[in-house]
This record gives sequence, structure tokens and C-alpha cells, in this order.
Amino acid sequence: MTERSGSPSNSHAAVSLRGISKIFDDVTAVDNVDLDIADGEFFALLGPSGCGKTTTLRMIAGLEIPSAGSLQIFGEEVGPLPPNKRPVNTVFQNYALFPHMSVEDNVAFGLRMRKVDKAETARRVAEAISLVRMGGMEARRPAQLSGGQQQRVALARALVNRPKVLLLDEPLAALDLKLRQEMQFELKQLQREVGITFVFVTHDQEEALALSDRIGVMDGGRLLQVGTPEEMYDAPVDRFVADFIGRSNFLHGTLENSTTVCLSNGDRINVPVVDSDVIAVGDAVQVSLRPERVMVCDPHEVPEGHARLQGRVATVTFLGNSIVYHVQLDWMTVVVETDHRPDLRRRAVDDDVALWWRDDAIAVVRP
Amino acid sequence: MSVGEAELQRDRAERRRGLFLALPSFVYMILFFALPLVIVLVYSFATRTSSGSTSLSNWNLDAYRKLGEPIVRNVVVRSIVLAVITTAICLVVAYPFAWFCAHQRPNVRNLLLVAVMIPFWTNFLVRNYAWRILLSTGGPLSSLTERIGIGETNLLFTKTAVVIGLVYAFLPFMILPLYASIDRIDGRLIEAGRDLYGSGSQTFRRIVLPLTMPGVIAGSILVFVPSMGAYVTPELLGGGKETLLGSYIVTQFLTARNWPVGASMSFVLMAVMLVSTIIYFRAGGKNL
Repeated sequence: MTERSGSPSNSHAAVSLRGISKIFDDVTAVDNVDLDIADGEFFALLGPSGCGKTTTLRMIAGLEIPSAGSLQIFGEEVGPLPPNKRPVNTVFQNYALFPHMSVEDNVAFGLRMRKVDKAETARRVAEAISLVRMGGMEARRPAQLSGGQQQRVALARALVNRPKVLLLDEPLAALDLKLRQEMQFELKQLQREVGITFVFVTHDQEEALALSDRIGVMDGGRLLQVGTPEEMYDAPVDRFVADFIGRSNFLHGTLENSTTVCLSNGDRINVPVVDSDVIAVGDAVQVSLRPERVMVCDPHEVPEGHARLQGRVATVTFLGNSIVYHVQLDWMTVVVETDHRPDLRRRAVDDDVALWWRDDAIAVVRP
Repeated sequence: MSVGEAELQRDRAERRRGLFLALPSFVYMILFFALPLVIVLVYSFATRTSSGSTSLSNWNLDAYRKLGEPIVRNVVVRSIVLAVITTAICLVVAYPFAWFCAHQRPNVRNLLLVAVMIPFWTNFLVRNYAWRILLSTGGPLSSLTERIGIGETNLLFTKTAVVIGLVYAFLPFMILPLYASIDRIDGRLIEAGRDLYGSGSQTFRRIVLPLTMPGVIAGSILVFVPSMGAYVTPELLGGGKETLLGSYIVTQFLTARNWPVGASMSFVLMAVMLVSTIIYFRAGGKNL
């Protein structure tokens, strides 16, 4: 597996996956995943539906048993343990609150199952309920709560057990946009307050970028790349990652040496140093060019020492704070996004333009 | 005419149409259900003359008083015990099966549910006679136990045979509501229970069982009620050795020619069933 950055070498990673696979009948849902999640980290597993992120989370929770590999939580092998024998708790998608119990009984459930004494249970339940600001709602049934309130109860029900790792399966997906943004903020705040490792699964790249310390992007059961949100955006190593997190243009080419790519139109461009462990010299590659990092100018005004592409404006779309141009080159179309400012010249359809970029604004990715 | 008025008028017309469509079933139910019931009620207050006919005068509560007599009380108690045993066995047998059904692929589960209903395709009486053959001395069951070495069994005309017959007859009524309520449980609730440190049995007791309670109660009523009043099975498989409520009522009408007592017992039986059904809906209403 190619993990480009950020794997803590710490032997007591909160969660550590080594060669983890899960095969259902004849479908490989998770394919040989290696991953270390550090203690206290807010980690996102990001990917489209069916990419294996939820199955990975469920294996950490103990709701699925891995077909192969080793799974450790704080150095203890937990692969075959049932969920009730693991120091983790889950906030389920749609929360899975027990409909026949009050908020208080829901929150107390885990402690009662573990036979924590009554006074201690009452104290911790009250504490958890106030932590998620649900005081006064103790006697309500889940059906009497709004989506956001149910979400909070689900958090309290998990956190009251003081798990070593909290797992969250699409925690915000069931909420409407405004509430989702509010809860994002609260979730982040909460994680800082309790200091517990959070691992959450999402298909929403914005959510992953906004919330997490590090992100792992999955596709087709494989973990493609792990890194901080900035690393994932600035230096994707895989076309899927570059495309899934933000938008990008992809120029086809071949890696000539660790800092040069020969584009398919024959131009040679400088690129940030490519790690030979990830992409070998001579491989077919693509160069990811973010729309907002491409500069537009008149054909002969490209500053000295920069790669350039010549083209003609095909469409102009005004978006308020920005303008999006589709620029037709003779071998492809490039999408460019520029600020909408009085000091920037606005281009019109059929204008001849040149495109250029700083060498460090692009990334070389596996096709 | 204002818009509001038009709306009101259309609502009224729609209600009238609904009533009109429902009329045939109303008439049918009144004619063949409500009216006979009233007749039964009326007869239960009548007097049996010495010749065995029923005099529709002289209204009294004698028939109800008779229910307090030890013989009748024994019949009632025996019937209740038998119905409770039958219900309990059905519950224990049906729950795992319903659970299994609910967790199969859709086509497999449909096949299983059809299988549950197959017995209904054969006449009830015929099936009871089949059990007579199965359970009789020298019958298939007996030869099987003999071959295994347990010795000959003779279950026919025992209480056990009656229970076997009743469980067989009413098991589908337990399976179907249980299946429906188990199928409705969100699997994530069970996972949540396990995730929150519940063992398998704790999760079952604290989450699955309470959530399937409506099915348990519905199934129990559907089995208990007909078991209480069962007539054919106790007669054919129990040999009428011990009188149960169903046989007792029949005897009152046909043999003893004491219609008021038969009527009062029928009515009390119905009242008991009605009350348990109401209890069910109350309990179900709270949970759903």
C-alpha cells in the first residue's frame, strides 16, 4: 500500500490496521488496508458509497470480522473480538437510538450492561447529557426529538462509556444543510473537549476537510492515500484523490525524471519532486491542475520561466465571487477559475489566451 | 358558493360514497355476527324448562351462577391451563423460526412463509384425523420410537396429543405476527446493543424482546383464544376424556339441552377474549 505521509511510527497507535481485508461471498469490500490512527486524532475515512469505508469502520467496531490481517486498538489485537469486548463505541448512521427507551435510558445503556454501580451511572449519564446540551430532555423518547437532538443523544450514549476510540458512521448525513454545518462545528469542539480519538466515515469531502486532522481516501476497497487535509488537496498522488477532493484538470503525460513530466502534446514541464516509491520514472502519469491555481493572461505575457498552454476561451461563467472559463487547447479543454475583481481583466468568448502556473501549484498523480 | 363550502360539500359526498361502499359488509356483519351474538346474550338470561326447551321469559342470572360451580370451574381451569401450555410452546417454537425467516434472502423467506401456510390448504378435520393415525398405537410415531428402542408410545387420547394437535393447528398464527414484528426491527439497533457492551442474551432481553412485544402479544392472543375454545382437536385427539370448554358448551347445547348455560359460557368466553384483545391493543399502542 502506498501511504504517502503521516503514518505515526508510534507503537501505540490508537487504531492500527495491517493488511486488513474483508471479503463478502465473492466481493472484496476492503482490500489489504494498512493504516495507523494516532491517539487523540480526528480521522476521516472518505470515499464514495461502496468504497469500503463503512466496512473498515465496522471491522474496527467489531461488527464485521476481518477476512485477513491484523487489527489492533492501543496495541491489543482485537480482530476476532465481538463488539461488546472492545474499548470502542459507535455513533451509527441514523443514530440507532433505542425507540422504546427514554433519552436517559439510552445513554445509560452501556453503563448498565457493564454493571457500573447506580450512583456512578447516574452521575456519568447526567454529565454526558449536559456535555451534549440535552439537559431537560432526559425523559423524552427518541421519536420526540429532532434530528440534531437525536444526533446529540447518540453521541452522549457512546461517549458516556469513555471509549478509547469513538467511531462515527456518516454522523451528519441525516441532517439538513444548516444543521449539518452547526453540528460540524460542535463535533470538532466536542472532540477537543473529550480528547478521544474520533474515526468517522463520510462521503462528503467538505466535511472531511473541515473536521479532520487527517483523511484517508478509499476507493474500490483500497486505501489510496492518507494525509492532512492540506496534503490531500495540495499533493494528491492518485487521480481519484485529486478528483474526489476538490476539482481538477488532468493533463496526460509521462514521468521523465523525478521533476519533469513530458505532456502528451510534447511540452516538458517542471513538477514538484515525485517520490519514486509512489510513481516510477517512465510511468504514464497525469498532472493535476486545480482550476483556481491556473493563471490566465494574454498570449505573450506569460512570466519568464513558467510552463504555458495556448488556447481560446470557449465559455465564460460568472459565479459572483469568481469567473469560470473553459479554455479550449488544441488537445484538451482546461477549466480555469479566477477571482472576480475589478483589477483583473475579464476575458470574452473566442479571446486567445495563455495559461500558466507556478511549478509548485500542481501535482503528479497516478492515472 | 364559496370555495370553502364547495370543499365541505365534496368532503361530505366522499364520506357518503365511502359509507355506501362499506354497506354490504356492514349488513353482513350485523346480520350474521352482531345479531346472533345478541341472541346468544338474550338466551343466556333465559330459563331452561324441565322438558329441556328454553323459555324466553322469567329472565334470570342462573346460567351465570352455574359458572361458579366446581365442575364448570374445573372445565374452565383445565381449558386455561391447556391454552397457556399451547401458547407457551407455540411461542418458544415460533420465535426462532420467525427470526430465521426474517433473516433470509427475500425469495427464501417467501418460500418459508408459504410453507407455514401450506397446512391451511387441507381441511382442518382431515388434518386432525391424520394426527390420529400418526399418534395411534402401532402408528408411525410409535413404530419409530420402538425402532429407536424407547419402546412403543401411545399418545393418542392423552393431554399430550391434544397439546400437539393444538400447537400444530395454531402455530402459524404465532409465526406470522412474530415474523412481522421481527422483520420490522432495524438491525442497527441490535448492533448498537452489542456495541454498547450488551452480550447476545442481554441485547435480546433489553432490545429485541421489547421491540417484538407487539408480535408476541398478538401471536399469543391468536393462539390462546382459539385454544381456549377448541372443540375438534380435543374431541378427536383427546378422545373427549377430559371435558374442555369447547366440548362443554357443545354438550350444553346438544346433549344437556341447557341453552342458557351454553349461551352464558359462550358469552363469558367471548368477553375474556375481547378483554385480552383490548389489552393487546393498549400494549401495542404504547410501543408503536
